[in-house]
Amino acid sequence: MGEVKSIIVSEQGKKVNEQKNRRVARSLIKWKPYLFLLPAILLLGVWMYKPLLSTFVLAFQKWSMVPGTEPIAVGLDNFIRLFQTKDFVQSIENTVFYTVGILPFSIIIPMLLAVATNGLNGRVKNVYRAMFFIPMILAPVTVGAIWRWLFHPANGLVNITLQKLGITDTNISFFTDPVYAKWLILLMTGWGLIGFSTIIFSAALTNINRDYFEAAALDGATKWKQLKTITIPLLSPTILFMLTMSILFSSQFTFAYIDILTAGGPFGTSTNIYYEMYKYGFSNLNAGLSSAAATLFFIVFAIIAIGLNVLTKKFAFYDN
Amino acid sequence: MKRIKSVTVLQHFLLIMMSIIAIFPLYWMIISSFKNESEIFTSSFIPQAPTWQNYLYAFAEMPIIQMLFNSFVVATLMTILQLSTSLLAGYALVRWNFKGKLLIFTLLSLTWLIPFQAVMIPNYVLINQIGLNENPLGIVLPFAASTFAILSIYQSFRSFPTALIDAARLDGESDLGILLRIILPNIRSTVISLGIILFINAWNEYLWPMLVTKEMENAPIQIGLKSFVNSDVNMWGSLMAATTISCIPILLIYLFLQKHIVDSFVRFGIK
Repeated sequence: MGEVKSIIVSEQGKKVNEQKNRRVARSLIKWKPYLFLLPAILLLGVWMYKPLLSTFVLAFQKWSMVPGTEPIAVGLDNFIRLFQTKDFVQSIENTVFYTVGILPFSIIIPMLLAVATNGLNGRVKNVYRAMFFIPMILAPVTVGAIWRWLFHPANGLVNITLQKLGITDTNISFFTDPVYAKWLILLMTGWGLIGFSTIIFSAALTNINRDYFEAAALDGATKWKQLKTITIPLLSPTILFMLTMSILFSSQFTFAYIDILTAGGPFGTSTNIYYEMYKYGFSNLNAGLSSAAATLFFIVFAIIAIGLNVLTKKFAFYDN
Repeated sequence: MKRIKSVTVLQHFLLIMMSIIAIFPLYWMIISSFKNESEIFTSSFIPQAPTWQNYLYAFAEMPIIQMLFNSFVVATLMTILQLSTSLLAGYALVRWNFKGKLLIFTLLSLTWLIPFQAVMIPNYVLINQIGLNENPLGIVLPFAASTFAILSIYQSFRSFPTALIDAARLDGESDLGILLRIILPNIRSTVISLGIILFINAWNEYLWPMLVTKEMENAPIQIGLKSFVNSDVNMWGSLMAATTISCIPILLIYLFLQKHIVDSFVRFGIK
């Protein structure tokens, strides 16, 4: 009898132990996803979200980043100062100029090129793709150095050629000219992007079912009509994707070229908002002003991104 | 038949024009780097008397080897860290349903909206506080986790058959084991492609390394090149030589793994 009892007791003990183990295991399973995500989340928190919040706070303070000094609260002063700064207003205009100006290079020309060259196959296509891609993998500093040399005022290939062709007889200082400077920066950025975008559009185009075009051709639809009624609607997800990328990233793409080639000049004619933020922070040592600009444009870009997201959900046409 | 042929000719014409536009600047960089002092200012398309002089001058002017080494350390470290953090995170996102998953996706996606310029000042202050300025770790740390890498890995994990994971789990394989021994070998080529993109991006990184390193000896090659470009010396031959050297690693990778790179850029998009 006593033996049986002790067996029951030990069985119960085992059960309790098992339950405990299972509970530990279950809570471990519950924590596991977070454990795997921890490094990424921690790093993004420390280097993205926390500093973003600090920037929001700094936007209402005055600080020169000198070690040992403390930021001083100044209310909305930085924002008021921003709009009184001539360069800032001009940088907004230029940001719009670059953002809109990049669209032919990221969407319109690549799409037409992709359509015009659709149907090429095999090795030839790969050779072209390989070459189209090169501008995309080169560092901004590399591209900046080469273009600076190509457009050198006295001895650059472009000036030599223009004068040989008799188009001009004076040396043009492209990067110190208030008109040429920003167009050249746009052109360089476009040059870097056009091949890549063409490849993206080509890839999207090869996924479109050929039957649509054949059926349309049988019905007597012209090439132009096919483009308008079949190609563009079916490419709409890609178009909207590239549009979003262009708007969100064009200011970052142009940033490096501005810094390397013109430093925003002459007279602020080629600067953009990100370059102004950099200048306020690290040339003028005015962390508050830089942060105010960052805060303002974070909000502006967030609104644009939400808008584009809605647009994508509404208009992107998927062929199932 | 004739019509088809003329269309093809037009296609090739367009494509060849585009290719020339794409690679001509690179060609001009390389031939300029071999032109001698009297030829550099002419528009000859092939150097008449090729010389190594420009390269010798570039090496004498900057600690190029040291800076290439710095770039290599930074880019390798950044790539390894970004791949590790994104493999772990991607696995968690595919494998489990848990509370706050939506929030995590939202936080990840929202980082697209944060340009580096919006966080550079607090990050600069922090790096200086913890004394990691002038240090490769200081360049790498803010980029140790990349949303782009996490979402790319997540995408390729999603297409992995769950039956294989379940089978491994029944065999008593741990989660880390499943990730490293079952999934990773099967999506190796995807991970390699992603790694190449991350390496190229890290090699080309420019704004942050410029803020963190002031001394040439600690700077990656891009920073050295930038100060050379802006130094106003009229040594275009050696500047082009230095530029050529700075992109040789990238061009070599591209030459050997071209198809990998193009495919993965198409698949993953741009950073």
